[in-house]
Amino acid sequence: MNSGSATDPAHAHHRPADPPAASPAVMNGAAGVARSDTAIWTRGLTKRYGTRRAVDHLDLQVPRGALSGFVGPNGAGKSTTLRMLLGLLRPSAGHGHVLGEPITEPDRYLHRVGAMIEGPTFHPGLSGRRNLDQLAILRGIGGWHRARRQRRVEEVLGQVGLGERADDRFSSYSLGMKQRLGIAAALLPDPCLLILDEPTNGLDPAGIREIRALLGQLAGGGITVFVSSHLLTEVEQICDHLVMINGGRMLFQGHVTDLLAAEDPRILLIPEHDADARRLAGLLGDEGLRVEIDLRNGPPSASAAQGRWPVVTAHAPEGLAAHLNRLAMHAGITLRSLRAHRPNLEETFLRVTGEIDGDLVRSAQAGQEPDGSVPPPAGAGLDPAHRRGGAT
Amino acid sequence: MIAAFRAEWVPLLRPRLLAGTLGAVVACAVLGTVLTFFSVGHRDFDGDPVTAAALSRPDGLLQGVQAVSILLGVVALSVVAASLAGDHSHGTLRNQLVAQPHRARLLAGKLLALSTFVVVIVAAATVVSVGLSFLLAPTRGVSTAAWSGGAGLAELGSGFVNLCLGSLGYAAIGALAAILLRGPAAAIAVALAYALPVEMLISRIYRPAHSWLPVQLMQEIATGGAAYAMPYADALLRGVLYAGVMLLLTLVIFRRRDMTA
Repeated sequence: MNSGSATDPAHAHHRPADPPAASPAVMNGAAGVARSDTAIWTRGLTKRYGTRRAVDHLDLQVPRGALSGFVGPNGAGKSTTLRMLLGLLRPSAGHGHVLGEPITEPDRYLHRVGAMIEGPTFHPGLSGRRNLDQLAILRGIGGWHRARRQRRVEEVLGQVGLGERADDRFSSYSLGMKQRLGIAAALLPDPCLLILDEPTNGLDPAGIREIRALLGQLAGGGITVFVSSHLLTEVEQICDHLVMINGGRMLFQGHVTDLLAAEDPRILLIPEHDADARRLAGLLGDEGLRVEIDLRNGPPSASAAQGRWPVVTAHAPEGLAAHLNRLAMHAGITLRSLRAHRPNLEETFLRVTGEIDGDLVRSAQAGQEPDGSVPPPAGAGLDPAHRRGGAT
Repeated sequence: MIAAFRAEWVPLLRPRLLAGTLGAVVACAVLGTVLTFFSVGHRDFDGDPVTAAALSRPDGLLQGVQAVSILLGVVALSVVAASLAGDHSHGTLRNQLVAQPHRARLLAGKLLALSTFVVVIVAAATVVSVGLSFLLAPTRGVSTAAWSGGAGLAELGSGFVNLCLGSLGYAAIGALAAILLRGPAAAIAVALAYALPVEMLISRIYRPAHSWLPVQLMQEIATGGAAYAMPYADALLRGVLYAGVMLLLTLVIFRRRDMTA
C-alpha cells in the first residue's frame, strides 16, 4: 500500500461516528491481491464488550517488511487489536489474516511471530535467562538440544544488551531491563513479524536509541515490525508506515510522509515591535492568506521586556516565506523572526484525535489572556493542539 | 504437549518452590506418622482405638501418611492452583499462548507436569513416613514383619497409588478454581473453603453425602476406602468421574475464554 488515508485526518474528529471511508488501496486489498502483500490484513475487525465497542470495524493493512507504527490515545483499542491478532481475544465480528493465515487459527502463524503485549510479563522468581529458556522450550527452539536452545537465548540476550544481568531474578530488574527482556522474548523465534506494544516504555534515552536502532535493523533485514507507541517522535523517526486509531476506529493508515504532507503548512512571523502585529496580520490578510495572531513565550534569554511576543501565523506554504518577508519590509515592518512550520506527527495526532492534555489547556488559556497591545482577533487563533510549543 | 510439559518444569523446579513444597509435605508426613504411632493405646480422630496389632498388619506401614492425606491433598490443590492462576495474574500466560497457541495442548502439558509434580511430592511424603514408621515401630511395640513381606509391599504399592489418586483429585479442584478465578489467592482460598469447611459441614450434618461429595470421595480414595463404610470401587469410579468433569470444564473454559490478563 503506497498511499491512502482511510479517513481524512483533518476532519476525522469532527465526525467520529461516521464509518471510515476506505481508500482505493484499501478497497483493492479486499480483492485479495493486497492481502498477499500484507503481513497483517483485517476487514471489519470488531470487539465488543457488552454494548461498548473496543474495536470497531477496523480494516488494517500492514505491508510486509514495513516498520509500522500503531498509534492512538489511551483506550483507543490498540492492545485489544493486537490481542486479537495474536489469538488471545476472539473478534466479535470481522475477519483477518496474519502472514497469510486466518486469525481464527493462530497456531498456523504464531510460530513466525514474536510479540510483547502490554508490557513485559515474566515469572518474577525466575532469572531473565530461565524465563527465556521456558519460552524457548515451549516454542520448541533447538528441539531436545539444550546447547542450541541456550545459544539462541544468548543471542537474543545479546541483541537487547541484557547479557550481564541475565542471571538475576526478573523481580530485581528495572523497568527498562524488563522491557529489554520482553523484546528478547519476542525475538526468540527469529520472527517474520514482530508485534511490540510500547517497547521503549521505561527506557532511558540511550536505551530508546538502542531499541530504535534495533527495530530499524530488524526491519532492514526484512522483518515486518508493528509497534504501538505513545512516543510519537519515535514513531515519526523510525516508522515508514502508520496506523492511527481512536475509539476503536481507523483514523489513518498509510505512509507517515503522506499524513504529514496533507497537513496545513504555516509561516510564523514575529515583528520586532509588538504594535506591528495587527498591521502585519492585516497586510497578509490582504494577500488572501488566512492569518492568526497568537501570544507566545519568548526564549529565556530574550531581551524583550515582557517575554511574550505576538506571533503572526500565516497559513501558507514555505515557498511564500520570502514573499511575505518582502511584503513586511515594504510596509516598514521589521521581523524579529520568520520561519516555516509544518505540523509534526505529535501535533497531527493531537489534532486528529482531539486529545488535549493539561499543558495544552493551560497554554490555550494563557494565549487568550487580555493583552493591551495585541488582543487576539475574534474568532481566530490556533486550535489548542497547535499551541503546543513556542514556534519562534 | 511435550514442549508444554517440559516448559512447565522450569518454574516448578525453582529451588524456593521445590524446598517449600517438599518441606511442607515432609512435615505433614512426619506429623502424621509420629501422631499415629504415639496414638497407640488411645483413640483416633474418629474415635476408633489405635492398637499396635492394627499397625502391625501389612497395611500398617502407610497408616501414618494416610492420616495426613487430607493435608497432602491441600498441598496438591494449592500448588496447582497457585501455578495455573499465577500464570494468569503474572501475565505470563499470554507469552505462553503466543509461544504455544494451541490451548488444549498447552493446558494438557501443564496439567501433566503438575500431576507429575504432585506424584513426586506424595512419593517424598511416603518415603519419609515409611522410614519414620520403621524407626518408631519398635518404640511402640509394633511388629514390622508383615510390612516387608509380599502382602506388605502390595499394600505399600496400592496405598501409594491411592494417595496419589486422592491428591490428584484435590489438584483437579485446584485447577478448576484457578482457571475460573484467575488469581492464586482467590483460587486457593475458594477451593480450600469448599473442600474443607463446606464439604465437611455438609457431610457431618447429612452423612450419606459422603458418598457423593467430590472431596469426600477423594479422601475415601486416598485412604483406600477405609474412612467410611463405602465400597472403594464405587468411590474410585465416582471420584474419577468428578475429576474428569472438572478437568473437562477447565479445558473448555481455558480454550474458549478471552485472554485479557
